[in-house]
Amino acid sequence: MSEAPAAVDLFSAASLDALDAAGSVEVVVGVHAANLARRIGEVLDGISSALGALAESRRAGVLVADAGSQDATHDAIGAWCSSRTAGPTRGFIDVVLPRHRGRAMRGLLLAAQRVGARAVVLVDADVASTREDWLAALLEPVLGEEADYVSPAYVRSVSEGTLTTNLLAPLTRALYGARIQQVMGGCAALSGGAMGSWLLPFVEADDWPSHAPELWLTAAALASGARVAEVPLDRKVVTSGAPQPDLATILARTVGPLFALMERHQAAWLSRTEPLSVLRRGDSSRVQADARSPAVDQMVRAFDLGLKDLLPVWEQIVPESTLARLYPLALMAADEFRLPPPLWARIVSDFAVAYHERRLPREHLLRALTPLYLGRTAAFIVHVRTMSLSRIPEAFEAIDRAFEDEREHLVARWR
Amino acid sequence: MHDSWADILVRSFREVALRLASYAPRVLAVLTLVLTGWILAAVLRALALRILKSADFDGRAQRWGMTAPLTRTGIRRTPSEIVGQLVFWLIFLVGLLMAIEALEVPAAVGFAPVVIRFLPNLLIAIFVMVIGWLLANFLAQALLIFIVNAQLTGGPALAGALRWLVILFAGSVALTQLGIAREMILLVFGILFGGTTLALALAFGLGGRHVARRTLEAWLRQRDEQGPDDISHL
Repeated sequence: MSEAPAAVDLFSAASLDALDAAGSVEVVVGVHAANLARRIGEVLDGISSALGALAESRRAGVLVADAGSQDATHDAIGAWCSSRTAGPTRGFIDVVLPRHRGRAMRGLLLAAQRVGARAVVLVDADVASTREDWLAALLEPVLGEEADYVSPAYVRSVSEGTLTTNLLAPLTRALYGARIQQVMGGCAALSGGAMGSWLLPFVEADDWPSHAPELWLTAAALASGARVAEVPLDRKVVTSGAPQPDLATILARTVGPLFALMERHQAAWLSRTEPLSVLRRGDSSRVQADARSPAVDQMVRAFDLGLKDLLPVWEQIVPESTLARLYPLALMAADEFRLPPPLWARIVSDFAVAYHERRLPREHLLRALTPLYLGRTAAFIVHVRTMSLSRIPEAFEAIDRAFEDEREHLVARWR
Repeated sequence: MHDSWADILVRSFREVALRLASYAPRVLAVLTLVLTGWILAAVLRALALRILKSADFDGRAQRWGMTAPLTRTGIRRTPSEIVGQLVFWLIFLVGLLMAIEALEVPAAVGFAPVVIRFLPNLLIAIFVMVIGWLLANFLAQALLIFIVNAQLTGGPALAGALRWLVILFAGSVALTQLGIAREMILLVFGILFGGTTLALALAFGLGGRHVARRTLEAWLRQRDEQGPDDISHL
């Protein structure tokens, strides 16, 4: 068994004893769950049976950690793990307080390291569509020793995940040189070797963020130049146990960690000259039509209101040259609204630099991005509304290219 | 007659010379104190600037929201330069007070100790005002962003009102610290604050309740019809 001294501080003694008693496990599915008391048993049964086929040929286990639930999820996980049934080994990773998503994920990785896992799949219990074929697809490049980090690529509708398609993924690509559809996709696979090499400093670090910790893994893999693979999966169904936070909070919790990671990995991305190759298993750009095209009037109104009222805040973040390109947008009708990718990439770059230079309180800065993001989302929806499905990937590619083009400017201003 | 005229002249010159000679040490002492105070103030200003620079005070001040309001009010100095100036003038003021005391001018006797006793309160009052100003800017900015993100109008007016309320509160605390019309300030602040709150409550509750209801209903309808959650962002 591998040594993982940090686990001693992170787990309860009972968890450690149970892990040590479990012996070695070759394939681990680590599930982190929050506020899912009613469904967690069903979710874990599904994952356990999905792992069933693999468990016949290899020693496999499901390890579960509570990610800071306010309901009875913690007890429900304990009860599920202690119930004796045939199938994969079950382990309750009882992370000591404070509990949150980042500590739960770190706990699962440390636990997997402790049982000497060759491959780990981390799964967010909110992703209700995890099936046997998903686990097999995610594990295959790791067990075949072709990749150390495997990211999912889902079938998505045109306007689904606009924050991912318009900011998180293109910025990640511009920084680290790898085109990854999901930078925080709800599940990912890692090799046991990764935990002993490039992932080791991160697993040992005790400052995992409570929000968007998956970004940590993705950025760590890309920044360290690990062997990365992307596997196509079908539609992701998410059934969250907690109510969705407001948009400004979503931005603060996702864009904030991404900007923070830019500081952490600045040596890697500032010096990058070549793109990072990603092993792809099939087509990762499959898009479906929207069930109904979202209305953009409200978004454009939000942008106009921001331009009218939030200007004193934006003036501290965005230079006058960028602001001057925004003023004419206030005159556009909602159905003709345009905020082109190069301008959007420049805005995001300005925000990243202002975040780095701490020009104003970071929470304020991230929340002040909301009207601009809504403007960009509206422009994207207006742009793709009349496009055929076959041309949608071109629109995504145009956004990615704009961020790539902006990279030089960003590097020059990043001190 | 000639002798007596010459005697008078010589005597008066001698008296003036003697009087000047008796003042000279004091004048020299005054000049020395002013010069020393000036040099010491300049040295301490330079030292303060160096310490503030190494502590990245300007960067921190920008993050705390100090720089932007300064720029907007037309002040072109950096926050560390302002603190440096404050240090300079405080030290130089002490030097000047000592110089005035050294002159032994009857009208200024006892002036310096009074002012020096007052200095700590003045410094605390300045500190309270700076903290109040920072807090006012922070809260006003947070409120403005919140209102705009909630897609409500009137954000700048409400944020401005909050900013001035906090500054007013800090100002009254600072004046109370200085002991200036303590009772009056408490009374005025109480009346102003209580009166404004009551006036707003009456205006909103009686005069504007229909407007308030319509506004809230429209906002809730708007949010239900097509809120930010209409699309999945992640």
